[in-house]
Amino acid sequence: MHKELQVYFRNLNNIFLPLIFFFLIISIFPLVLGPDKLLLNKIIPGVIWITAILTTLLSSNNFFRDDFNNGIIETYLTSEKSIELVLFLKIVSCWIFTCLPIIVFIPLVSILFEIPFKNSITILFTLLIGTPILISIGIFGSALTLGLSKNNILTPIIIIPFYIPVLIFSASAIESVSSGLPYDLQIYVLLAILIFVVPIMPYLLKYTLELSVNN
Amino acid sequence: MNISKIANLKFFYINTKKISFFLSIVTLFLFSFGIYWGLFVAPADYLQGESYRIMYVHVPAAWLSLQVYIIMAIAGFIALIWKVKIMEIVSIQCASIGAYFTLIALVTGMIWGKPTWGTYWVWDARLTSELILLFLYIGILVLYSAFNDKRQAVKITSLLAIIGLINIPIIHYSVEWWNTLHQGPTVTKFERPSVHITMLIPLLYMLFVFNIYFLTVLIKRIRFGIFQREKNSKWMEDYLND
Repeated sequence: MHKELQVYFRNLNNIFLPLIFFFLIISIFPLVLGPDKLLLNKIIPGVIWITAILTTLLSSNNFFRDDFNNGIIETYLTSEKSIELVLFLKIVSCWIFTCLPIIVFIPLVSILFEIPFKNSITILFTLLIGTPILISIGIFGSALTLGLSKNNILTPIIIIPFYIPVLIFSASAIESVSSGLPYDLQIYVLLAILIFVVPIMPYLLKYTLELSVNN
Repeated sequence: MNISKIANLKFFYINTKKISFFLSIVTLFLFSFGIYWGLFVAPADYLQGESYRIMYVHVPAAWLSLQVYIIMAIAGFIALIWKVKIMEIVSIQCASIGAYFTLIALVTGMIWGKPTWGTYWVWDARLTSELILLFLYIGILVLYSAFNDKRQAVKITSLLAIIGLINIPIIHYSVEWWNTLHQGPTVTKFERPSVHITMLIPLLYMLFVFNIYFLTVLIKRIRFGIFQREKNSKWMEDYLND
């Protein structure tokens, strides 16, 4: 974990790039749709979510590429230490450096788009629960395509269908809260998916990596 | 005759030639009978008139699209765990057959939707999840074609298929839930009246025919898959020279 974080810290660009990307995409929407406040207010939760998805897709796309080229993955797989823990920490650190900055800056986005406080809290919550799921699914996708030399657009094609449940429940939580309805059910479902996905993901990743490496 | 013998690629290839031909004839016969039954014998619907007859293709295709996915995932599972070579071929060939069935179900559904609902497409729960199913199939096929080493490719796609199988009910229920949240009253509007027995029997028959058709195509495709994989082997050369 410590080492992984250090690697991320060494090139701080890694923190800022997803964040800058996020803000760029967010600010494209008003340019395309016109500065109509009512319309923007209505669609901004969806926009934030789509942007979060794009960011996670791009940042998890070539997640194992460097380690694979360096031969680190093979070393891990052949070593006797438990690789699952390493993989779990890698997921966590990837999340910390790509999604956490976005979540931290959600209040700023809320100010820019004049989102009501209650709504922005919900967006924050759904992102907080949803993005770890998205990141782990994205990393799974990058493990699947590891055996390929180029996989720029392939991984998103494979994994976007798997994003759909998370997306639906997050969007409907935000919609519920903006129409004054309770949204705890959606949050619970998201939590359930999170609790289901994240613990099994390291084992799944290990198996996938073994398949991808042993050819 | 035991399982391991049938699972042998050479044995399967040599012995299914006649079966495959026979099945094709049977399928053709059964299919034309079913089409005749569905198009001319079965009564017209009191609500939808003649247009409902596309159901005899639409419903079996939609059913098969799911069934084939399950078969693909199970075959992939067997291929991964027990390393049965023929199941690798079954798994990946099921992907393309299933994609075709999904496409047929979607297209016939759209054709059917125009006269009954007045529009080709609604973001209805079933339609949406069928569309996502198509994307899942396409993902598997695209992933398979991206690999140079097809044996490794099929391992990866099998894994993806298994994960997708777990995911399908989740996707289905979430989409259904999303749909009822968004457009509650329209769902009941689209609900079809229960099918009368004179229409149900030809429908079940068509379902059976589609299954036979699937089996035929699958055997032909497995033979093709074996040929692709073993075309440089000695037994294939000997067999083709005979």
